[in-house]
Amino acid sequence: MARIELSNLGKRWESVWGVRDVSLVIGDEEFVVLLGPSGCGKPTPMRMIAGLEEPSEGLIRMDGEEITEVDARDRDVAMVFQGYALYPNMTIYENIRFPLRMRNVPPSDHPELVREAADMVELGALLDRKPSALSGGQRQRAALARAIVRHPKVFLMDEPLSNLDAKLRQAMRVQIKRLQRQLKITTVYVTHDQIEAMTLADRIVVMEGGSIQQIGTPDEIYSDPANAFVAGFIGSPPMNLVNGRIDSGTYRAPGIEIEGVPAFEGGSVTLGIRPEDCRVAREGAHLRGEVFGVEPTGDATYLTLKAGDILVEVKADRGYRAPLGSEERVRFDRDRLYFFDTAGGARIASDSGASGG
Amino acid sequence: MPRRVRSKGESLTLRYAILGAWALFCLAPALWFLSIGLRPRTEIITPQPIYWPTFSLDAWHMIWEDWPMAKYLRNSLAAIVGSVLIDLLLALPAAYSLARYEYRGRDDLGFYILSTRMMAPAIVAIPIFFLFRGMGLLDTVWALMLVYAAINLSVVTWIIRSYMLDIPAELEDAARTDGASDLRILWEIIIPAIRPGIITAAVIAAIFAVNEFLFTLLIASTPNAYTMSVALANFTGGSDGVIYNAIALVAFIAFLPVFLVVIAIQKHLSRGLTMGAVKG
Repeated sequence: MARIELSNLGKRWESVWGVRDVSLVIGDEEFVVLLGPSGCGKPTPMRMIAGLEEPSEGLIRMDGEEITEVDARDRDVAMVFQGYALYPNMTIYENIRFPLRMRNVPPSDHPELVREAADMVELGALLDRKPSALSGGQRQRAALARAIVRHPKVFLMDEPLSNLDAKLRQAMRVQIKRLQRQLKITTVYVTHDQIEAMTLADRIVVMEGGSIQQIGTPDEIYSDPANAFVAGFIGSPPMNLVNGRIDSGTYRAPGIEIEGVPAFEGGSVTLGIRPEDCRVAREGAHLRGEVFGVEPTGDATYLTLKAGDILVEVKADRGYRAPLGSEERVRFDRDRLYFFDTAGGARIASDSGASGG
Repeated sequence: MPRRVRSKGESLTLRYAILGAWALFCLAPALWFLSIGLRPRTEIITPQPIYWPTFSLDAWHMIWEDWPMAKYLRNSLAAIVGSVLIDLLLALPAAYSLARYEYRGRDDLGFYILSTRMMAPAIVAIPIFFLFRGMGLLDTVWALMLVYAAINLSVVTWIIRSYMLDIPAELEDAARTDGASDLRILWEIIIPAIRPGIITAAVIAAIFAVNEFLFTLLIASTPNAYTMSVALANFTGGSDGVIYNAIALVAFIAFLPVFLVVIAIQKHLSRGLTMGAVKG
């Protein structure tokens, strides 16, 4: 149970800043996901919360108390690692017991606490095994049990599911979320997988290039992206981003014409439109292009249109089919249009265009 | 396909033949020594070729009864085991520091440690003699223990360091967030994980120590501190002349334990000897 405040955290390696200006308040019992592409520095704030990395600048507070310089072992946080990091020479029982021993929990309590944690992740039958005798999913559960056994104030999870196959990943996702709700422990979770972020998080922190791009609930991030990076990173398939221009209230790009958009002085404008906000329509079409690809996925058909040198992906009805090369027209949902300044990617404020979610 | 299988079978036979011949070639000196050691002295120095050697335990009786061979063995063992223990005690924390901590001059320090191995030992022979005389340790096993430890410390440190570098940093991060101190991490996580490396380093240090001659000769002036390697030299002088069969037998006895240990751990050893080739 803890509230964590990060103020202006920065980490510099030699002269290169890994992350900079990270300010974030994580509420008690909140599940926060740090999301970003690999190499964006997203694990660094988490490692600073753990005490494994010392910030070059900024402060960390936990429940109001400053812990910036406090040693990792004196912070009441537990971490789950991408590679599980189980101690290979110890049995699963000893692995789960290790934090209890290190934190001087009375030995007579150990068997019960270990059993309780193991049962919570359904690992009770495997306590005598060595980590090498476990499957990937079992190892991940053992690592979870080791983290929950001493009821820490904070859970930190560094890409805990990325070494598992897709099916197992989904099952573990549900389990992690349940555990967090059950134990009511403040959790910081790092991932590059936006589905994981959307499904697990109370709030998502989108990071890129070592700085925070946007903080918000999954809904906010999805329907009200702060800039072109966030817009393009969240969603699967991703949002279409098309460079064009706005002239006297009309947005124009190859094959695209949208009237009545907010004025923008100053160069190129990027239009953002999600595939599911496009409709194949004869009347009032905004986009006219040549059919470049048709991909039925079962519950929908994804249609790719080519106009000039741009490609736009459209989510069409499951029954939609069209021959390649034929002409097609698409209408956009006017309430779901996003405009970004092509230079820098900042969202262009508007009152008539996209409505916030 | 059948052709391939056959050709593979042929090449396998050929491979074994070549490897077998090579093994025999390598073992020949040891076997030859054994054969010299178990024959009468007269038969060894005769110029005529001998096709049917005579078996004799003359040398065997001589080295145990006329010479304090048991004491030499004990000296060797004590000096070697002691030196290896000293090395491990110092090298484990040193290697951990070199592998994991970041501080200024770390790599220079590591190189300095290794460089102690690079000069000719004779350069420090005189200072070492005076050093031990000053400490009153001349002609004792203690001095040998310290000298062997000093000679091998760099190699032991570097071998152990290379193994430590292979341990994922995540493992230590996990232990740290679990609440372990650096010493607990070293003792409970790192050392169990690099046990093969520790064994390899210990064996390599022991081999160097068995073969050490120069400093042992310098320090051991009486049988009080003689080891096997110096004792061997004593068979070559004196009124009895060169006692070849005793030399051969003692050499074989000194060789045998090392040989057996190396066979037992050869899988790890190749890694230790190629240390630095891949990583480090």
